[in-house]
Order: sequence, then C-alpha cells, then structure tokens
Amino acid sequence: MNLSIEEGEIFGLLGPNGAGKTTTLLMLTTVLKPSEGTAIIGGYDIRSEPDKARSLIGIAFQDPKLLWVDRILDVLNWHAKVCGLSRSERKRRVEWALKELELWHVRRKKIHGLSGGMRKRIEVAKVLIQRPKIAIVDEPTAQIDVVGKYRIWNMIRALRDEGSTIILATNELYEADELADRIGIMHKGKLVVCDKPERLKDSIPGGDVVEVHTEKEVSETVLKKLKSFNEVAEAVVIKPNHLRVHLNKAEKIIPKIMEVFFEERIMVSSVNITEPSLDDVFLHYTGLTIEEAEKLSPIR
Amino acid sequence: MRKILLVIERDLKTFLNHKILLLMRALWFIAQILLFGLIASRMVVVPNYFEYYAAGVTIIILYSTAVYIGYDIYEEAEHGIVEYLLSLPVSRKELAIGRSIGGGLRSFIYVAPLMGIVLALLGVSNPLLLLVAFFSLFLFSFGVAGMSMTLAMGIKSADKFDILMGVLDALIVRLSTVMYPQIFIQQTNPFYADIANFNPLTFASDLFRWGAGLEQYITFSPLVSIMAIILFFSTFTFIGVVFYERKLEGGGWE
Repeated sequence: MNLSIEEGEIFGLLGPNGAGKTTTLLMLTTVLKPSEGTAIIGGYDIRSEPDKARSLIGIAFQDPKLLWVDRILDVLNWHAKVCGLSRSERKRRVEWALKELELWHVRRKKIHGLSGGMRKRIEVAKVLIQRPKIAIVDEPTAQIDVVGKYRIWNMIRALRDEGSTIILATNELYEADELADRIGIMHKGKLVVCDKPERLKDSIPGGDVVEVHTEKEVSETVLKKLKSFNEVAEAVVIKPNHLRVHLNKAEKIIPKIMEVFFEERIMVSSVNITEPSLDDVFLHYTGLTIEEAEKLSPIR
Repeated sequence: MRKILLVIERDLKTFLNHKILLLMRALWFIAQILLFGLIASRMVVVPNYFEYYAAGVTIIILYSTAVYIGYDIYEEAEHGIVEYLLSLPVSRKELAIGRSIGGGLRSFIYVAPLMGIVLALLGVSNPLLLLVAFFSLFLFSFGVAGMSMTLAMGIKSADKFDILMGVLDALIVRLSTVMYPQIFIQQTNPFYADIANFNPLTFASDLFRWGAGLEQYITFSPLVSIMAIILFFSTFTFIGVVFYERKLEGGGWE
C-alpha cells in the first residue's frame, strides 16, 4: 500500500470485510506494528516516534471498546481527560456529544444495559469529543438507524470543517460516496485504486448510461453520429424509438447528443441518465461485487 | 505524571464499579473471621488463635484483591479495551506504570477499612508500628499486582491464567504463616517451612501482626520482613511494568 492523505480531507477507505481496512487503521494508530514499511503521521514516523504520532490521532473503533461495568458519562469524561481537554471544555463537549447523539437521557447508565446502536454511538462520541488532528472512524454507522446515520455523517463533516482530517473506513459504498472527498479501494490487503469518487466513476469505460426515448424511429445516421463522439463507448437500439448509449462524462456530452436528434429532426420524448455507482467501480477494479469479495474473505 | 494519574484513576473507578464482586469479597472476609475464625479458635490449642487468624485473613484478602488486576487485563482484552488503551495519547511506559500503581492502590484502598475492623477487634497498641506495617503492606499490594500483571502478560490465556492463579493461591496461602504459626509448619515438614520462609505472604502477615501487637507469633524480625517486602515489591513492580509495556502490543490473547 502506498498512499498519502491530504490535510483536511475526508478519505474513504472502502472494501469488503477482511480487505485489511481495520488492520491498516490499527497500524496507523500504533496499536499494531507493521511487519514491514511505515507511515508518517503529521511528520512523525509511527515506528520511531509512535507517542508523537499517537498524540495527533483519535479513533472510533469498528467494535465499541467498552467495559460493561462502566458508565457512559465516566467513559467519555475519562477519554476527554486523557486527551488533554480542560475541565470546562470537557464538560461542554461531552454534554454536546451526548445530546447530539441522543445519549443524554442514558448518560448515567452502565454499558451492559445499552443496545448495540447506543454502544456504537458512544464509540463515535469519543472521537467527536476529542476532535483530534487526524480522526479515524471505522464503520461509524454500523448498527445505527437511518436517522442516526445522517446525524453522524453531519457530525463527521463538521469535524472536518473544524480542521480535522478524517479517515473513514467503511464497507458501505453509499456512505463512502456520501462523505468521502477521495476514496481508496482495498481488496485482499492491497490498495487497488485511489481517487475522487467522480473520477473513479468516470474511469469505467462507458460507465454512464443514457436512455433516450423518441417520437419516431432512430435512424442509422443518428447512431453513426453518436458513435463518432470520443466519450461514447457504445450506442444500441433497444426498440425502434428507444436508444441506449454507454458513455463517459454524460453530464458534458448530453447537449451534443440532443443536438444530433435536433439536426435529424427527431423529437425526444424522454431522457434518463444513470451514473455508475461505487459498486460498479468496485466490480470494475476487482472483478467482484463487494458481496462476492466478502464471501472470499479469509476472515470469514 | 498527569497521564499516569489518569490511568490510576481509571483503574480505581473500574474496580469500584464491580460492586457485587466487592460486596461478595467483603462478605467472604466477614464470614471467614466471624464464623471460621471464631469456631476454629475453639478447637485450636494456639493461644489467641482468633487474633492470629484474623490478621492472617486480612493478608489473604489483600493478596486476592491485588491479584485482580490480572483478571482485569483479560477482561479488557476480551472487550477490546487493550486496543483502545494502546491508541490513546499515553506512552506505553505511562500506561504500564499507571496500571501497576492502580492495581496495588485500589486493593489497598479496598482492604484498608477491613484492616481497620480487624485492628479494632485486636486493639491497636502502637500507632507508629502500625503505620510502618501499613506502609509495608501498601508495598506488598503493589508487588502482588506486579506479579499478577507479569503472569497475565506472560501467559496471555485467560483459562491458563485462571487455573494458575487458583493453584498459586492454594500454594502461596497454605505454604505461608498466614493461617498457622511457622513452628507447626516446621513440625509437619521442614521443606514446607523452607518455602514458607521465602513466601511474601509470611513477611506481610508477620508485619501486620507485629504492627497490631501480636509479636509473639512473628517468624522474622520486622526489619527482615520490611526488607523482604521491599525486595518483593521492587522486583515484581519492575517486571510487571516491563512485561506490560513490552507485551501489550501484538495481540495473541486467548
């Protein structure tokens, strides 16, 4: 893996379970020592200066790391203390996080009385309270309901806006697409590809699909003209008045396509554009769907 | 230093959260003294055996409470807390020192009121001697915590640790002068007495009895006992800290 993450970005590490995302994150947080290679965090080498590297990092683990006998408020207060927050700041941030994550009413409860979703929210709260320079969130919305997901996504974005760099590990493609400025796809312990989501999608030849329904039959001339565009990978007549075009950068070329129909005096009754998803990107680069890749994972 | 104090604070709080466990230990202690101690003292020919036994049981509970840090380490490994602790902005050394101090301190804090009850039963004769004895027991609890950390980190298997601690508890308590004076051990088997003479529980119980004014039953001079406890404390605290610092990373927990 060779990767650099820019300051202030949300970097999505995407891959199926067992791809090596969590192992990578544990090495970055100095919990695991790399068998070979290293990482530089804010100028500090994780091998030679682990304490300094760790001082810049905060992590919300995939599985909540909580003792069942502990109380929520104690867990978060202690975490804030050990991360060096002053008494007033600690009080303010803990209260804020508990209220935002709808845990305020159970703040004095012990961990063993909480649902899986609540425990996960406590884990995420730790990093939100800490506001580290580099915040790592490992599957932050697993086990969390839809409303809670959106709330946590907004909080992660706010954390980035306040100056943190976010590393988001997820196997939820939609989550990565929604949050990440750049995405690295991991498969079998290797980084397969890394780029902005739009560029990853555009990198699939003919990934965009434009469906055009017309008032009258699509002529051969239209097909010929459409195929002459560099961005068009394929144009297929499905029915006499239904054309499917596989292309790239659909948003740029749609006006040109419309111009062809206008020139040929064919009325267009509807146009439907479908962009490739990150599922398609994953499939393109690994040859597997994310579900298939998970089934082949050695960790299963 | 601040980070070490925070690690200690966490250990104390977690320990105090185990309310049922603490209550049961206290009930065990009371039952041992008020049932076993009182009944056994009637059938044992040793004069003042009740006082002798009460002092010994205090050392047993101090030992078994200080050992608890090892079980905590396994519980933390099971719940992933080890990874959490390793990811915090705390150096490995601060973490290891904090755990060692926390493990010893919390057991002493817990046992101190029980010691107070025993001393009230015995009637304290010299507060100064008692303070010296208390301080030695304070170091003893750190030594036991260090020993427990060393074994927990060395074995990294909860089942094996549990079995080992059970066996160790049986041997270390019974091959000491905690429950019976040294002369009876010597009469039973001189080899047992040799082992008991090197047992930290013998030194700890000697010191507690000395501080409580039961000097007729002590095996060694208080100075020897204090030196032995200091040696036990420094050796196992050092090894415990080193083992915890070096072996916490890398997983391998069973």
